[in-house]
Amino acid sequence: MKRNPITILVGVLLLVVFVLLLFVFQVRQNEVAVVTTFGEATRSAPPGPHWRWPWPIQKVHQFDQRLYNLETKFEQVQTADGYNLLIMAYVGWHISEPQLFFRSFGDSVGKAEEAVEGVLRNAYSGGVGQHPFSHFVAADEKELKLLEIEREMLAKVQADVRANNYGVEIAFLGIKKLGLPESATEAVFELMRSDRQVQVSKIQFEGERQASDLRSAADLASAKVLADADGQATRIRAQGESEAAKTFAVFKQEPELANFLLSLGALEAFMKEKTVLVLDTQTAPLNLLKGPNAGTTNAAALPRPKQP
Amino acid sequence: MSDPRDPSSPALTPPTSAPAPVSPHPETPDDSSSQALSEALRSSFVIIKLIMIALVVVFLGSGFFTVGPQEKAIRLRFGKPVPEDEAAPLGPGLHWAFPYPIDEVVKIPVGEVQAVSSTIGWYYTTAAMEAARNEPPSGPTLNPATDGYLLTGDGNIVHARGTLRYRITEPGLRYTLDFAAASNFVRNAFNNALLYAAAHSNVEITRDTTAFREKATARLNQLIGAQNLGITVDQLAVQVIPPRQLTADFVRVLEAEVKSSTTLNEAKKYANETLSKAQAEAKARVNTAEAERKALVEQVASEAKRFSDLLPEYRKNPALFRDLHYAEALQRIYPNVSEKVIVQERGNGQPRELRLLLSREPPKPKAIDIPKAHEDKH
Repeated sequence: MKRNPITILVGVLLLVVFVLLLFVFQVRQNEVAVVTTFGEATRSAPPGPHWRWPWPIQKVHQFDQRLYNLETKFEQVQTADGYNLLIMAYVGWHISEPQLFFRSFGDSVGKAEEAVEGVLRNAYSGGVGQHPFSHFVAADEKELKLLEIEREMLAKVQADVRANNYGVEIAFLGIKKLGLPESATEAVFELMRSDRQVQVSKIQFEGERQASDLRSAADLASAKVLADADGQATRIRAQGESEAAKTFAVFKQEPELANFLLSLGALEAFMKEKTVLVLDTQTAPLNLLKGPNAGTTNAAALPRPKQP
Repeated sequence: MSDPRDPSSPALTPPTSAPAPVSPHPETPDDSSSQALSEALRSSFVIIKLIMIALVVVFLGSGFFTVGPQEKAIRLRFGKPVPEDEAAPLGPGLHWAFPYPIDEVVKIPVGEVQAVSSTIGWYYTTAAMEAARNEPPSGPTLNPATDGYLLTGDGNIVHARGTLRYRITEPGLRYTLDFAAASNFVRNAFNNALLYAAAHSNVEITRDTTAFREKATARLNQLIGAQNLGITVDQLAVQVIPPRQLTADFVRVLEAEVKSSTTLNEAKKYANETLSKAQAEAKARVNTAEAERKALVEQVASEAKRFSDLLPEYRKNPALFRDLHYAEALQRIYPNVSEKVIVQERGNGQPRELRLLLSREPPKPKAIDIPKAHEDKH
């Protein structure tokens, strides 16, 4: 029979594929595999292709080696100074030693999670119990020890997991939630309420104080401005008077004339408005009523400006 | 390029069968039926061959894949990343990989913005209840099983929630291949960041969340770095409110502040007005004084001039001068006088008593005793 080379090639290829399927397995990048020989874990396989003996001799168990997120319930623990605190933390864990893991938990990731959760819960009482309440809640940032507490808990969890030979590793741990027992929240509310009331009165008082400060400062400033102005005005007037006084020197040449002129001027100014003048006949020029020879003059006036 | 000579099947016919069909029929009917069979077999083999070739083409062609604009891709060959892909993942475009059992393509949504919300710190509610304004009423306490809250550094309770938008930026394998559910880690890191930020703040974050957000962002970035999450925070939005049980008390503080600032503004207004009024008044007073000064100086000057003008005349005859000027003055005065009363002297030279009635307008006139106005002539 004549054989076509292509046919032979195809046949060989098929055979190779079949053999490879039986004798080779591949591990994906995110996985790790444990190979058991007659049920006994004999080796683990990193990502990539690997040889194996076909089934019933060897069996391959593959595990997801990525980080798993795990958190506990909200657990109540007592702080070192006797307060009750609720805490919830989460960890990122992954399978680090597949053979150990396989021996501890077989194929079950669920069992492993339970075990890790138990370890984490232990860390609460061990880790949190070492610290007073003020390490969790403190107005002073230096008192706060959240990071230290996380670090301590992580160290404890890692040590416990290693000691138990679980074949897993805890990559990190963080506190997810902190809380107070339900009854304590009411007391906190009460405190907050009175704190708000204090704030209200403080704000009111402060506002009023500032306002009255402003007002009195303004009053003071304007009083000062006015006083300055009055001072200036007085100075100006005094200056005017002194200027006028210089002119008075002229009058010294004939004080009597000066006096007479001033009196006349004053009289005229005084009589400018509507005036009632009561005169007797001795006053010039009415003295002429008595006869042409009346001599000197004098006036007596009772002026009365009329107010309409 | 199908071969006419197919080797495997026609075992029954002699090798000379190829030209045979054309010859006239010396064959038995048996022979002709086998002939037909071989014919059928041959053609079906051709079909099978075509199908196989098509399958191979499809098999190899299925290795083509596209990477979207917001994606990167890595090929896993036998489960392990192809080295050059690990260094520089495949960008958008058409690529080729061996089909399934050999290669596998993992796509990573790099540019795409993803979002997670915080799960701690808010009281029990749902989006639907919130939209309908039908949230469960607040009891006197917070139940730790259902109601979330954060403890602030000063020992107060606040509610806070937030949304984090992020992108996968390290296009390595981390996000998809290192974490079973990476968004859970992102969410918990976000939760932890909120908790941490609240612990380092006081209750005033309910009014201004800026500092709170900055602290949370800083902590979150620290966690992203420490846990190798391979993401970048695009936007972090937070909302912080006081417990609903205390809403009224917090509102009262706000009101007090508003009132206080109103009072302060009024005081400022008063201060401005007072001061500008005082300044205007001051200026007026100074100006008045200035005007008076000028008036005085001018008046005195004019009087001095008049004096100097009159002086020579006066010196000639003082008595005449006086009488003359006195009479002149009286002439000027008398027209201004509205009423003139002339009293005749009594014969005996005794002063007369005059009674003046003042205020003629009011209904009840009142008599007033004038202290007698008289003047004796010498």
